[in-house]
Parts: sequence; C-alpha cells; structure tokens
Amino acid sequence: MKVITTKGVVKIYNPDKIPVKALNGVDLEISEGEFTAIVGPSGSGKTTLLNIIGGLDRPDEGDVEVGGHDIDAMSDNKLIDFRKEHIGFVFQAYNLIPVLTARENVEFVMLLQNRPKEERHGRAEELLRAVGLEDKMDKRPSELSGGQQQRVAVARALAPKPDFILADEPTANLDSKSTANLLDLMAQLNKEEKVTFIFSTHDQRVIDRARRVVTLVDGKVATDEVRESE
Amino acid sequence: MILIMAWRNIWRSMTRSLVVMGAIAVGIWAALSLTGFATGMVKSYVNNAVQNIVSHIQVHQPEFLDENEVKYNIPDAEAVEQAIRAEPGVKAVSVRSVVNGMISSSKGARGVSIKGVIPEEEARVNALDENIVEGDYLSGEGRNPILVSSELAKKLNVKVRSKVVLNFQDRGGSITAAAFRIVGIFDTDNNPFDLSHVFVRRNDLNSLLIPAADSSLAVEGLAHEIALMVDDIRQVNLIAASLSSKFPNLKVQTYREISPDLELYEGQIKNISLIYLTVIMLALVFGIINTMLMAVLERIKELGMLMAIGMNKLRVFLMIVLESALLGLVAMPVGLLLGYITIEYVGANGIDMSMYAKGLESFGMSSIIYFELDPIVYLQVAVGVFLTAILASIYPALKAIRLKPVEALRTI
Repeated sequence: MKVITTKGVVKIYNPDKIPVKALNGVDLEISEGEFTAIVGPSGSGKTTLLNIIGGLDRPDEGDVEVGGHDIDAMSDNKLIDFRKEHIGFVFQAYNLIPVLTARENVEFVMLLQNRPKEERHGRAEELLRAVGLEDKMDKRPSELSGGQQQRVAVARALAPKPDFILADEPTANLDSKSTANLLDLMAQLNKEEKVTFIFSTHDQRVIDRARRVVTLVDGKVATDEVRESE
Repeated sequence: MILIMAWRNIWRSMTRSLVVMGAIAVGIWAALSLTGFATGMVKSYVNNAVQNIVSHIQVHQPEFLDENEVKYNIPDAEAVEQAIRAEPGVKAVSVRSVVNGMISSSKGARGVSIKGVIPEEEARVNALDENIVEGDYLSGEGRNPILVSSELAKKLNVKVRSKVVLNFQDRGGSITAAAFRIVGIFDTDNNPFDLSHVFVRRNDLNSLLIPAADSSLAVEGLAHEIALMVDDIRQVNLIAASLSSKFPNLKVQTYREISPDLELYEGQIKNISLIYLTVIMLALVFGIINTMLMAVLERIKELGMLMAIGMNKLRVFLMIVLESALLGLVAMPVGLLLGYITIEYVGANGIDMSMYAKGLESFGMSSIIYFELDPIVYLQVAVGVFLTAILASIYPALKAIRLKPVEALRTI
C-alpha cells in the first residue's frame, strides 16, 4: 500500500528576489514497510522534500498525498493534527524537549492525542525498553549522550503509532558506534514491526543499510535504486 | 504535562526568572505599602479632624450657621440634649456655646472662635484633654480659666498662668470684655484650627453672653452647638437622619457635611490605590513582556519542533501564557507577605514623619503615620498582578504561534 505519493512537486525559495528551485518536479511513491534513504549532495533538496512529505512545508506546484490525504489542502492547524496522528519525526539535532525526562518526552505526543495515562505510561516504557534505555527513563536529555538522545527521539517518533517515520540526517551528530546501534534499532523495528522509515542522509553507513536509495540531484530524482533485503 | 513543562521552563533561566519575580514581588509590596501609607495619612487627617474638631455629628440652629451670631442659640437646648443622649448609638455629647471674638495679650491680638464647654463632656467628645501639652485641662476650680493652643500662645507671647482678655458681643449686641487666665496649652496637630480656637467653661462664657437685663434665658440654658460622637462611624448617617426627623427646626450635620474635604479625602483612598496599582502594573507589564519575549526568542527551534510533532497553536499559546502566569503566581505570595508585614508593622509602630511634621501639621495631619489597608486591596493587587502577567504574555505568545515550524527548526 502506498503511504506517500508526490507528483511533479516544485519548491522555489525566494521567489521574489533570487529564486532558488529546491525541488524541480519530484515524482515519488513510497510504500508501507519501506526502509528508504533519500540521498544527494548538499543543496539537492533532500531536507526540502522531507519537509514537504512531512507537512512542515508546502509545495509551490504539484501534489502530495500522504496516507491518501491531500495534505496541501489542509489548514495549518489541521496539518498539525495530521502530523500528530500520522507522522513521526526524528531530527538531526535530536530536538527533545529539554525540560522533560526521556519517559515524558516519549509520552508527550500521546498526551497531545489525549490517550489515557495508563496507555501512555505502558507504551513509553515499552518503547524505551525496545530502544535499550530502560535504565535512563527518568533522565533529562542533558543527562544523556547524543546516541541515547537520538534513541529517545526514535521512541518518541514511534509512540503515536504513525504511518511512517521521517528522519532528517539522524546520524549526522553521532559517532560510529552510536550510528551502528541506531541503524540496528531502526532496521529491527522496520523488519519486526513493519515500521516505514524514510531518511535523508549523506552518511554512507546509512546508505549501505537502506533497502531503497533515492538520489536527488538539482531538485530532481536522478536515480531510484531498490536493493534486496539484508 | 503542559503545566509541568511551563513550570520547568520558567526555571531554565533561573536568574532571569528570579529577577522578574523579584520585580513583581517588589511591585506588589510597593503598591500595598504606598496604598497603606496614603490610607494611613488620609485616615489620620480624617480621624484628627473628627476627634479634635468636627466630631461625628453637630447640631445647630440653621441661622447660626449662616450668621454666626450669638442670638441664634438652640431653643430649649436642655431638652434637645436629653433627647440626643437617649438616641441609640450615641456615645458622647458635648453642649457648647460659641462666639466669635478677639483674644488679646500685652503683645498682640487675634480673632478667635471662643467655645464654652463643660470640661468633662468635652473631653468625652474630643481628645482636648489629651492634647494638653503644658499646664492642665479645664476644671471646676479657679476663675475664668482658658485653654489656648501652643501656636496661639506663641503669637500672643503668653504662657500658662498668663492673663488674656476676650472681647466679643453679647446677646444684646453690646461689646463685652473679660479677663481669663491661661491654665493649659493644647496642640491638636492642626495649625489652622489651633490658631483660631480657644476653650473656656460654658458657664463662664454664658454669664458674659447673657446681659444682666435678659431674664429670658438661664446661664445653663444658652447653647449654640451640640457635638456628638457615635459608637460606630458607619452609623453616622442613620443617626443624623433620625435626629433630623426629631428636630426639624435644627440643622443636623455629619462630619462629611461639616467638612466636605473629609468626604473628598475618604473617597480618594480607593482612587489612590487604583492609581498606584495601575502605575506599578504598567511598569511590570514591560518587564514581563521583555522576559517572556526573551524566553520565546531563545526557544524558537524548540517551539518549531513542538509544532512539528503535533502541538497545536492553542496549546503553544497556553504554555507561554501559563509560564507568565506562574511567574506572577510564585512572586505574588512573596509580595503580598512583604506588604502585609510592612502594613502590620508600620500600622502598629507608625512611621515618624517629624522631618516633615511642620508641613503635615499645617494640613491637619499628625507627624506619625500609621499604615492602614482595607483587606480588599490585597485581593485587588493580587488579581491586578495576575491579570498583568497574563496580559503581558499575550504578545510573546502570539509571536510564538506565528512561527512556521520549518523555519523555526532551521534556526540555530
């Protein structure tokens, strides 16, 4: 089943001054259960594409369908609700809520969804255990290493049971060991829980583990390579 | 959890939060103390005037108030006095004869209002006996004793036991003069009053006011003014109305009617606290806006992330407003407590304004001011500061929800 479909997506920054075409007609389909890396040189439009798929930005031309919904037609507030229910985000700089503990960070989106307390507690513990942080549940982000913070971010992204997870250069700030651990974790979640992951990355270690690699050059899909599973 | 986040957020920059909380607490303290000071000052003026000068209610012949002539005495004063004493809620009554005349010594002369009083009765109505600073209060002994104020004594260059002469017109219109001996010197802290009033015994004055040929009036029967104090100042209007209906031919006036300035000052207390509160709230608004704006601007990326993962604008708005409200709520009890302690302490011990006492006394205020505060002011200040904190957070909160997540996330 298709979770994401883009048709002729164009995004132009600075349209009035010096226009920069960040995306120049991107057609892409991503199906449930994929483990896809979007790669390309700096300025090729990876992050812009991820932002548009994630409903954080709007295309200037073209259509974006996520889970069968035309997200460009949604109001800003509706889009916030849509992201909360359907999309999980993992950011390059972890971006956890600094004043909340690991457990509270994971619970946060479920709280925004008005899920009952017991369910929130249970799921947060289950996810933190799954990412190997059962002994760090009550630590705040500042007390965790970069790799641990990124694991909390993955657990947080998974908490609301989204249709897919968008990860913008998730390993950019991690050392090799943390990168390997994080990739193992995501690959395992993808394999066992059928979680759909879409990354933007430069990192060869991530590209090597991806089962589909979409290469963007100058805002267009240059190559789209599907590999055999590991 | 939004409440928890808001609470923890305000402690992220502890120094900044403590500074703005300190400003709020000091603002509350200042609003309470200034209002307490102003209330104490006004009450001191009103009490001083009521106790020493006007009393709660005065009864006169209407013409006496217009013409100020001795012939307009209260008819059948003894019966009126009895009826007033029988009125429920009346604490003390003093029946006075009053005449305008001149007091002179070897050094000078001044126009004064001469009040003939029964010493024990007068002491119960005003604090004249307590205001004696030299010599003694009036008593039944001696011939023609008189009380003058220290201010007047200075002008006339007289002291206790000096002799002064009073000149005035009697009921028959003839000029009468009599020698009086100063037995005591008083000071009411109200210079204009002190300079223009002297007190003698009523019988001494009446025997001079009633000409020998006039047999229509006994010495005890002549009175121009009945001053009275009531048990509860809030009952003043009620008692005055009751007396008015009993004596339709007499003019019954409350202290507010006798001295409209007292009513004006009493009415000002509420305005004073509102003015102080408004000024302080305005100052606080800018302090809080500044703090909350800084709190929002340094968290742009985080706010972008919160909106990206699904926190809607209403919740972001609420979180910022809550942070500001919590700043106010934490500082509020501290400010209220500081204010309460100040009001209670200065209310009991007074603040010595003797440096400016000369100026104060010329306005009829005492040199020691006791702070006083209507408990409702604490509530007004608390609500005012809480609303200020909420109001001041609206602009920063609007700024936060106008952020576009994708742009906010890009900031460093």
